[in-house]
Amino acid sequence: MEPILVLDSIHTFIGQFHILEGVSLEVPLGSITVLLGRNGAGKTTTLKSILGLTPPRHGKAIFDTQEIQGKRAYDIANLGIGYVPEHRAIFRNLSVLENLKIAEKNRGDLERKSEFIFNLFPDLKRLYRLPGNHLSGGQQQMLAVARALVADNKLLLIDEPSEGLAPILIEQMMEAIKELSKTTTILLVEQNFIMASQLGQFYYIIDDGKTVERGLMPDLVNNEELIKRYLGVGISAGGGEN
Amino acid sequence: MRKDSLRQAVPAFVVAALILVLSLVAIRYMGQESFVRTTLSGLTLGALYFMVAAGLTIIFGLMDVLNFAHGAMFMMGAYIGWQFYTNPTFLFGLLPLILAFICTLSTTSLWIPITTKWNVPEAWQARLRNLLILLGLALMVLGFLKLDILSLAKTALVAAMNIGNPLAEASPQEPLSMFWWRPVLVGLGGLVLAIASSRPGDKTQIIRTEKRWQEWAKFGALAVLTVVAVIVRESGPIAVLTMNENLRFVLALIVGAGAGAGLGAVVEVSLIRPLYARPFYIVLVTLGIGYVLREVVQLLWTPVAYAMSRPPAFSQPGKAENLMAWFSGQNVTVDILGVTFPSYRLFIILLGILMLIALAILMRYSRLGMIIRAGVQDRNMVEALGINVRRVFSIVFSLGIGLAALGGIGAAPFIPVQPNMGDAYQLQGFIVVVIGGMGSYGGAAIGALLLGMARAFGDFIALKFSLSPAIAEASTVIIMVIVLLVRPSGLFGKKD
Repeated sequence: MEPILVLDSIHTFIGQFHILEGVSLEVPLGSITVLLGRNGAGKTTTLKSILGLTPPRHGKAIFDTQEIQGKRAYDIANLGIGYVPEHRAIFRNLSVLENLKIAEKNRGDLERKSEFIFNLFPDLKRLYRLPGNHLSGGQQQMLAVARALVADNKLLLIDEPSEGLAPILIEQMMEAIKELSKTTTILLVEQNFIMASQLGQFYYIIDDGKTVERGLMPDLVNNEELIKRYLGVGISAGGGEN
Repeated sequence: MRKDSLRQAVPAFVVAALILVLSLVAIRYMGQESFVRTTLSGLTLGALYFMVAAGLTIIFGLMDVLNFAHGAMFMMGAYIGWQFYTNPTFLFGLLPLILAFICTLSTTSLWIPITTKWNVPEAWQARLRNLLILLGLALMVLGFLKLDILSLAKTALVAAMNIGNPLAEASPQEPLSMFWWRPVLVGLGGLVLAIASSRPGDKTQIIRTEKRWQEWAKFGALAVLTVVAVIVRESGPIAVLTMNENLRFVLALIVGAGAGAGLGAVVEVSLIRPLYARPFYIVLVTLGIGYVLREVVQLLWTPVAYAMSRPPAFSQPGKAENLMAWFSGQNVTVDILGVTFPSYRLFIILLGILMLIALAILMRYSRLGMIIRAGVQDRNMVEALGINVRRVFSIVFSLGIGLAALGGIGAAPFIPVQPNMGDAYQLQGFIVVVIGGMGSYGGAAIGALLLGMARAFGDFIALKFSLSPAIAEASTVIIMVIVLLVRPSGLFGKKD
């Protein structure tokens, strides 16, 4: 499989802090690739660096054969990257409908995709007119994912979709992401190791701003030593709660 | 869920109840006539405050920019609208040059595919850009050289004294045979600047090919407009001065607001945009812009206070018995509940209300409004959805300044047109924004109403009990303090 996204040793600074000190990864087309690592390792910053929200200072980022490092975030997003940020950052003072509508990159996107979206998250249809701040945490998270689906994106960057969700909702979210991966490529940041290991085909481990390990997910699941060293969790504990 | 929306409405209820109670008390002690008169004065002031505060609050809400040049922009709107109304020769003479500049500057994106192919060593790219910018500016200076703008502006002085026959002052201008090279030079300057901003040699840019015809159409339309502007340079002012005066006044409102919006766009793109990473510098820059604008105005129009005459719809002698009678009589005053009140002030109140309604519709139902509301909360996420937030910033800044300028020209027949006419309104505008909550236009409306009333009733009380009129001015600050103590983020503030 050829990669749709390649990061070649990117370095990102936030203020004077050197957050990413050489992150390299390849996301194969059509795959779910999972970024793992401890809190503060630089996973979220990696996603933001891809999008240009925290532009990398050195290194190369290639999406779909185009170099994207140093471009403006909206330009990068318009090349076909959807972003689901952590902490379910939906627009709280916009209605559910508006939250979806604002993500249109071409007129009529939402109309074409609404059936697909509501099949994935039937709850949202019922809540169409409510303001975003009236949704429960789980509903907000679904809306945040749904928002990234409105435009025809080739790659989705999803940051901790299970964070703070009840177990039953985690199930539903996993189903949705599995369904999505049939049509798009996904780069997933996930602290919940069980969820990550069930969804991902490939993994990268980031530690102290560097990619330190990579491989196939099944190999990682059987490598307890690696998991202990970099993720610091027993598998049975069910992943890190922040 | 319902509780939440109720809680948001609480300040509105509190303010309404407060106004109701105070009104009852006031009617009891003041008598109906002075109460109605004072209320109407308060509404007029409130409408003016709102016109200034509306732009301030949406600009701050989205962009975190405190625009200290807002009062100066209010003043610019008044000057340009008033100039258009009394003698537009000056504006018509300037228009071809401005259009020529915009026309050629708009070709930036057409240059990108060409200039990125140039092989400029990286070290030389910035130098080349700076050289081109200098060259462009030099060409523009040449274009403006010896253009007799100053004396054109002073015709306004004479025109103001010749209200009876303004046509006598539609002064002659340079003949076309001398004038044509000015737009050409300015246009060339714009072209060079466009090439500079296409970043020659910078191969990392995204080259868009899909909407090229739109860019060409834009360029073509602007070119045609420029030629038209050159042609109507002399016939235009005469046509404007001979048209129906009420229509001319409406046009003056549009011209003032439009000029303000254009000025806002230029200021945002050229001076504020490079400084978003340094908020404190933006404060200094906007303060500076305010000073510069006031000086430029003094230079062009001399530091004299002008009185703009009211359009005929508000200046026929006599008093209309009621609002319906005003429609036929167009009198200078109207009788409202037994109070004789200037009809033009009612127009100001109407203008404020219309502005609020238009703004509400824009913010609630348009895509731009949706993006603004979303951007107030989370700019980065809006950008991550593929929306060019920088362009939205320019539009919002331009819109906010346009509103202030519209307020300026709307107020011009009511207050003297002079360089510092906007300063007091800017100060009150800031207080309104703080009371209403940064970023909330509804809050700005309530705050403006509150402040207008406080000023009007404060003045009344001061007069009645022979107190210093300063208590009216102080009352607005006291209201601000009370509101901030109870709700630190303002009545409807969403930001902290």
